[in-house]
Amino acid sequence: MNGDSKWGVLGQYDWSIMAPELTILVFATLLSIIDLLLPKKTDRRIIGVLGLIGVIISLIFTLSNTGTQPASILADMYRLDSFAVAFKAIFLTGVAFAFLMSLGTLDKKDVHYQGEFYYLLLTALLGAMFMASSADLITLFIGLELLSLSSFILVGIRKKHIQSNESAFKYVVIGSISAAVTLYGMSFIYGLTGTTNLYLIAERLGNVYQGGFSYIVYLAFFLMFVGLSFKISAVPNQTWAPDVYQGAPTPVTAFLSVVSKAAGFAIILRIFIIMLSNVIDIDPTTGEMKSLLVDNLGLYIGIVAAASMIIGNTMALRQVNMKRMMAYSGIAQAGYLLVPFATFTVLLFEQTLFYLIAYLFANMGIFAIMALVSKDQGHDEIRGFAGLFQRAPLLAISMTIFLLSLAGIPVTAGFFGKFYIFLSSVARQNYWLAGIMMATSVVSYVYYFGVMKQMFMRTNPNGVNKIKVPPCIGIALVVAVVVTLFAGIFPSQVIDYLHNNFLFENMMQVAEQVVMK
Amino acid sequence: MAALYANNYLIVAIFLFLGILLPVGALTFGRLLRPHNPTTVKRETYESGLEPFGSSWVQFNVKYYIFAIMFVIFDVETIFLYPWAVAYDQLGLFALVEMLIFIALLVIGLIYAWKKKVLEWN
Repeated sequence: MNGDSKWGVLGQYDWSIMAPELTILVFATLLSIIDLLLPKKTDRRIIGVLGLIGVIISLIFTLSNTGTQPASILADMYRLDSFAVAFKAIFLTGVAFAFLMSLGTLDKKDVHYQGEFYYLLLTALLGAMFMASSADLITLFIGLELLSLSSFILVGIRKKHIQSNESAFKYVVIGSISAAVTLYGMSFIYGLTGTTNLYLIAERLGNVYQGGFSYIVYLAFFLMFVGLSFKISAVPNQTWAPDVYQGAPTPVTAFLSVVSKAAGFAIILRIFIIMLSNVIDIDPTTGEMKSLLVDNLGLYIGIVAAASMIIGNTMALRQVNMKRMMAYSGIAQAGYLLVPFATFTVLLFEQTLFYLIAYLFANMGIFAIMALVSKDQGHDEIRGFAGLFQRAPLLAISMTIFLLSLAGIPVTAGFFGKFYIFLSSVARQNYWLAGIMMATSVVSYVYYFGVMKQMFMRTNPNGVNKIKVPPCIGIALVVAVVVTLFAGIFPSQVIDYLHNNFLFENMMQVAEQVVMK
Repeated sequence: MAALYANNYLIVAIFLFLGILLPVGALTFGRLLRPHNPTTVKRETYESGLEPFGSSWVQFNVKYYIFAIMFVIFDVETIFLYPWAVAYDQLGLFALVEMLIFIALLVIGLIYAWKKKVLEWN
């Protein structure tokens, strides 16, 4: 080839599969320059609008990759498969909601650095996208750190707000500790296999496990799992969530609760499923063969899931602050989302994705309404929702739909999400986990219905003046309501779509290293 | 192979043990051997032969940190540039473009710092 000598081996890669990430990178860089060049007085919402356009372009690129064969460049450092496409679509949708929310409610007095706010959301998104779209421990970790560092700043962006500062500090400390723990676990894996490529690790780890290193493999798994549980705010790393959610500006809270959490699930599923796919445990006395991930570790993941569900749902009962309540609700939701991973059926990806979609739209809807209500009331307490039905009936009704979806009541997406997860747990005869899931869901009705009680049965002491809904929040709410109801009424269509267009088996296929077109 | 892996940790353990033993041993030995006869002049903080003055709890200007961070960024940039320059002939045009992107991103960082008045001292 003619171009070979000039451009080297890197020139042979098909860089077009990286288009979604490159779009976000270009937009984040351009926006940071535009922000510097714009005069101080200019309304920074123009940067938000441009950022939103970037996110939508990237979403179009991502969706155009649906159903393609797995491809990889830079020796699997960047990898495109159905798993990556599905998660990236979720991140991009979540960030689009966060942008709409910020455009509608962000206050110049509250968040002074508005330009930074918008492009840091984009860099955080870029980190999340790399967490879903790589099969190399180093790139995955860099993605994780890019997401973490951007969110540390975003949490503390209300510079004059004492709670925001406190929460950012807590987030930095706990985030760094958990990153160190994750890295420690990864170092064991590297020490055992001599590579950071997940497929090579999978190839070698089976023999290593048989060769007397089983305890170190266990240790590495626990270290990495505990470290990564920070991102999904599951037990034992859940303590930061309430404080950080409360201190961060509402769009950032929404971002953390949806995009950051989904990214955590992406990296957990990607690393462990590929890494441990060939590790087989042989019972020395009976000679029985068991898969380490499916049969042995399921119990521990199940314990984490159960503890998250119990702690999240019981602690949420006592909260008077809406953001803290949503934080505990998020911990419980992380527990539900870990159940498919603990029970490990063939439908794992469909279940996780369906539930994530339900969770994404319900949570984003709630935070959008909450941003409006707390701006109107001047505080984040649950009592601020009193009399919302008289003040803004449409808002109250959409809020009810989102709350029902999170609680898992029929006709909403959340019901079927939970139902599928529950079924697989029962099918694998994991009755205790299914039982805890059922019982804690019933507990969760109390606090979700508590908000509804405020909206429909109380009157607001501050009067019944109407709440104005900015158009961008209106758009976000309409989309969220439509998707929540659609996925709740026609769940089989969504599942079929996921099943037909996303071939998750291809996550395990080793892709061609050099893609030439 | 498992034994080899564990042996490496044995060395770590020995070093850790020695690291704790040496200072503890040296200080205890010193305490046993030296005469104990303190005076006020002896108890004063040793500051390169100068008379100590003021409190050690002085506030440093926060700008030092920002300068330090700026320095580290460009220091690391040079570290990256060296191996690239050495292997320039093998790496080809693509690496040149990549390096230009890298430097461009750092320049954007510099412009950011400049516009945010980090480089001014007042």
